[in-house]
This record gives sequence, structure tokens and C-alpha cells, in this order.
Amino acid sequence: MSENSSRARESVKRMFPGEQPLVEVLNLKKYFPVRGLIFTRGYVKAVDGVSFSIPKSKTLGLVGESGSGKTTVGRLILRLIEPTGGSIYFDGRDILKLSGRGLKAFRRRAQIVFQDPYMSLNPRMTVFDIVYEPLRVHGIKVENPQEYVLKLLYQVGLNETHLFRYPHEFSGGQRQRIAIARALALNPEFMVLDEPTSMLDVSVQAQILNLLKEIQAKYNLTFLFISHDLGVVRYMSDYMAVMYLGKIVEIGPSDKVFENPAHPYTKALLSAIPIPDPEVARTRSRLTIKGEPPSPLNPPRGCRFHPRCPFYMEKCGLEEPPLIEVEKGHWSACWLHV
Amino acid sequence: MSSEEREVYEKKVLDKLVDLLLDNLTHAIDRVRPGWKVRNEARVEEFKLTLYALNRSPPGLLGLSLVSFFILIALIGPYIAPFSYDMPLVLCDRNAYLAPPGTIITVKEGSLCSEVYGIKPGNYTLILGADDYGRDLFSRILYGARTSFVVAVLVMAIGPLIGITLGLISGYRGGSVDETIMRITDVFIAFPGLILAIAFSAVLPGRVSEILDMFPPLASATLSLFALKPEHVGALANLVSVIIALWIVWWPGYTRIVRGMVLSARENVYVEAARAIGVPTHSILFRHILPNILGPILVFLTLDFGGVILVEAGLSFLGLGAVPPIADWGRIVYDGAEYFPRAWWLVFFPGLATLLAVLGFNLIGDSLRDVLDPKTRRRIEFRVKGKR
Repeated sequence: MSENSSRARESVKRMFPGEQPLVEVLNLKKYFPVRGLIFTRGYVKAVDGVSFSIPKSKTLGLVGESGSGKTTVGRLILRLIEPTGGSIYFDGRDILKLSGRGLKAFRRRAQIVFQDPYMSLNPRMTVFDIVYEPLRVHGIKVENPQEYVLKLLYQVGLNETHLFRYPHEFSGGQRQRIAIARALALNPEFMVLDEPTSMLDVSVQAQILNLLKEIQAKYNLTFLFISHDLGVVRYMSDYMAVMYLGKIVEIGPSDKVFENPAHPYTKALLSAIPIPDPEVARTRSRLTIKGEPPSPLNPPRGCRFHPRCPFYMEKCGLEEPPLIEVEKGHWSACWLHV
Repeated sequence: MSSEEREVYEKKVLDKLVDLLLDNLTHAIDRVRPGWKVRNEARVEEFKLTLYALNRSPPGLLGLSLVSFFILIALIGPYIAPFSYDMPLVLCDRNAYLAPPGTIITVKEGSLCSEVYGIKPGNYTLILGADDYGRDLFSRILYGARTSFVVAVLVMAIGPLIGITLGLISGYRGGSVDETIMRITDVFIAFPGLILAIAFSAVLPGRVSEILDMFPPLASATLSLFALKPEHVGALANLVSVIIALWIVWWPGYTRIVRGMVLSARENVYVEAARAIGVPTHSILFRHILPNILGPILVFLTLDFGGVILVEAGLSFLGLGAVPPIADWGRIVYDGAEYFPRAWWLVFFPGLATLLAVLGFNLIGDSLRDVLDPKTRRRIEFRVKGKR
């Protein structure tokens, strides 16, 4: 390992003082080629040099608008897709170097719950088959598979009448519970939750979020919680990271980010949260931004947010700002802080 | 499906038959493997619904009865045929020569026929007539069903299997593997299948007969499969060549179709979920992807079953495949064409048999398409429910 990258890793490790990181992500990149008729026309830089760490037994919320690359980050960390560059450490080990048995062992420890519960369950398998499959695949023998699966189902709020049914017989919330039971089957340490409640009714959302919190406390799980819903992220996360066009613009403890946002983009995002009290809503100062996010195929030079930023300076269009620690454990990538 | 909901169905006699059959079957399996019933209840219920839907498709039922009849004849035909497929009845009665349907022939006591060939003396009605050797057309059509059926089953057992496997690999792997497989497939598709089959069935027999000579048990097994007499072992090489030729030409279509379906099926989130769990590739292909694309494949298989029967008859008609005196529908038409239209029955009845068998498979295929497609199937279910 070169001196440079080891220093970078050291800084990611120390990102949040007083925490032991389970997952460390260093300068992660994922470019999707855009093919023309014959040649590759360019690359969509879905994730472009992202570094962060997820502390053990804590939840890191990852927010950003559609197309900011947050889901891609989740998939990269689980190696469902291969990154273009960078490295990912899980419990101190570089998972990008894993293959075969090592990768399989990693899959036992890290699981995912997908956004759309209507798509993430195989319609031809019964609930039992779906939840038991992880054990079958990893050759884990349990004395009574039926009982084992049933225990998992009880845990997520389902019961024995659901055991041998097909996914189409369930509601969205119930399906998401099945997906959570499947993710829990292997007793993982880490779970990526990719917008697990965005397809559900608000009342069901709350139930699922509480369920997730409950199992996190019970099993000491570490979560990467991906969402575009700031309220949900605030409720769930200990730390949060804000992504814009494939970059992290701000990262820190959730409370601090919410109460004292440093980056102009975060400020704009937070002031877009509707406030139920009209009195308060009228008096608060809102920061609005104009325009659409630029194409990730051809992102702006310098700071990616500069064409829409109300605090635009000349430097912003020329040089990319690094993550700067604005307070302890709270980082923001903006030239305003210098 | 809960039990209250099921009560809404107005059950037809056939549905009750389905219930009776499946309930007893599940009960029997549950006896052998305790707990099976509980575990598979939903699956059995789904299967029942599929069959109920099929029961409501008249063309499907017609197809089903035609095909069941064809299969029945193929299985028991050789045992119920009044004469052997190669019995030249002209030796018994000169009237048997090109006898029209309904001709009555007489086998005399002490004649060559009864002494050497062991045919009981008496009067026989040739219900479908006879050919230029006086061979009974009815018996030959019964035997011919066996020939078509065996060829079709053997071709459909191997050809699509190759095609589906290659399609699965090609679609899921992508990249250079996909390119290689698809270009080879293109070569086969670019060449007309029938011409290729003709070429192969013309070239292969020499080599095939050598192999059959080397393995007598294989030869005798094939012989009994086709219900042929031991002295006609020489005719086997041609029949087997047709089967091999059809294996060679019958897979590319499946590779194409399956690849296309896999390309869309592999993008499903549940496939990604399976990968996240660590499910190995072959298991993803056969447990997660294949069951979800099986419906359309099943439709193609059924339609192709009729297709193989037709092509096999066509090859025999061209003089490839079955050689005299083997009973084969295509061959009977070919041999009888010489006497057309005077002896029209030699062309008409085997042609009709082929038509009905192929029609049966096509009708089943079409209604299976409706039943297995979730969209049209729900419509059929609603129609069933609305009847109350």
C-alpha cells in the first residue's frame, strides 16, 4: 500500500471521532460506459471518488436526489456491481480482493433489503423457500428448518400461516418483512437498506422503520440506510452523508447536520422539508436553488454544485473543494469554509 | 388463495375431476413424505387454478383430447392392430391389392397365410383399405403413430434441452460467451432447418448403423421402442439419423428465445437479491430465472411437438427417415402418391392422422399460452368467478 493511500485510509478511519468503523470506503468510483454506435461515447460518473466510514452498530444515512449515486454506493459496498476504482474495507479487510470462498463468507456477514418489495421476492418461491434459501446456499444445517424460519418470521411480525404462501398473497409491508427476514437469516453484521420504505404507505413505513430499529438493537447491526426522505433519515440515522452528483458534499452526525447544515446544497435540501406549522413555515428563512441537477455524463468542473449555488465564487468553477472538517466529526465540501 | 375465495368458483365436472385427481395425489405423496401437503398447498392450489383455466378453453380441451388420443394410440396401437405393419395380405386374398376402405378379405384354411404367417382363417374387413402389397392401412396407421411419437419425444427431449441451456448461459453470462454462442446459433438459423435436416439424415445413416452394430443392446432397445420386428433392424439407422438430424437443427430457436427472456429476467431485483445472498450462478439460472420464464418455453415446447411430427413426416415423404416396410405416416403418403387419386385412401388417411395430431398440439399450445400468461389467465379466472 502506498503512503498516500494509507494516509487516506487513516483519515477515513478517524472520520468520526470515538467510533470504531466497520466499513471504510476510500475514493470509490463507478463509471458506467455510454455506448454509441461503435465507440464508447462517454461515462456516466455515477459515483466519483466517495470516501466515508460506517461506525460499528450505528446507522449511516445516505441521502441525495435521484441520480446522485446513492443506490450505486450501496450496491458497490456489497459487490453486487464492480467498482471502477477505490477500495472498500469491511472489518479491516479489503473486500474488492475477495473471490470464491472469501466472497461467499463476506456475503454471510453483509446483507441488503431492496427498495421495491414487489420485485425483490421470487414470485415462484414460497416464503419458506425464500427465507431458507440463504442457509441452503451457505450449507448451514439447522435441526429444524421450518422452526428456524418460523422464528425469523415471528421476529419480523409474521406468523406460521404465512410460511408456505407465495409473495403475491402479501401486501407491500408484509413483503418487506419477508425481505427483512431473508436478510436476517444468516445473522449478518451489516445491512444495506436501499430505500426500504419508499414504496410503502406512511403508516406501514413507520412500522417497518421501528422493526428495523428493533432488530438493529437486538442484533447489534450496522446499517447503511439509503433514502431520499430526510425525515426518515433523521429518525433512523446516527450519522448521515449527503450526496450530490456522485460526490459526498456533507457528512457528519445526523443531529449536527440537521441543526447546523454547512454545505449550501444541504441547506437547500433541509429547507425543502415541509413544516406542518404555517406560522413557523412563514418565518423560517428558506434557501432555494434553481434548475435541474446537471447531467452526470458531463458534470461541471470544479465544485459540482457551483452552477446552482447561491454562494458561487470564482474558485468554485475552477477547483474541486475537499471535505473540510467544520466541527468535530462534521465534514463539508465547500470553499466557503476556508 | 383462501378457502372462502375459492367457493366463488362454479365448478364444472372437469374441475371436480381435477380436484379428485390432485387431492388424491397430494394425499398419496403426503403419505410417503409427511409434511409435503402443508408445504406445497399453495403450489397445488396454483396448479389447480391453471387446470381450471384450461378447462374453460374449448380449443384447449379439444387439443388435449386429440393429443391424449394420439398418445394412447402410440402406446397401445401396435398391440391392438389387427395385422402386423408389414403383412402383405395379397398373399391371402388377391382382393387386398389396393383394396378400398371396407373391403372384406377371406383367409382360407391351410393357405400360405394361415400356415406361415399364422393368421386365423376367416373374413376380415379392411376398414381403411390396403396398399399395393395388400398391407392393412388401419394397422399401418396405428404403428405409424408409434413411429411419430417416439421420434417426436426423443427429439423434444434433447434438442430443446441443448437450446435452453445454451440460451440460459448466453443470456446470463453475456460478453464474449454470449457473442460466441449467438454467432454459432446464427449460422444454424441462417440455414433453412429442413434442408439441413435433409443433409444430415442423408449423411448420417452409415455411421449410425455402425454404432448400432457395435452395441446390440442399444439396437434392440431402439427396436422395441419403435415396435419393430427384429428383422427390420436395418431400418433403424435411418430413423435414428432423422432423430439426430433434428437434434442438430432443433436447438437454435430455443437458444434465441431463452436468451432474450433471460436478458430481461436477470434484471429482476430478486435475481440481484439472490446474488447478494451468495447463490451460485447455476442455482440462480435454474432456481430463479428458469421457473419464471418456463411458461412461454412450455408453450413453444408444445407447439414444437407438433412441428417435429410434421417435419418427420415431411422427411419420410422425401424418402428420408423411415424406409419400407416401416410404418410411417409420411412414408405411407409417399408410397401411396403413386396410385393417387385412384387409391385416394392411401394419401388421405395418413394425412388426416398427421393433421389431427399436429392440430391437437397446436390447440393445446395456444390455450396454454392464454392460461400461463398471468394477464390473460387472471381474465379467465375473473370470468370463472363472475359466473356465480
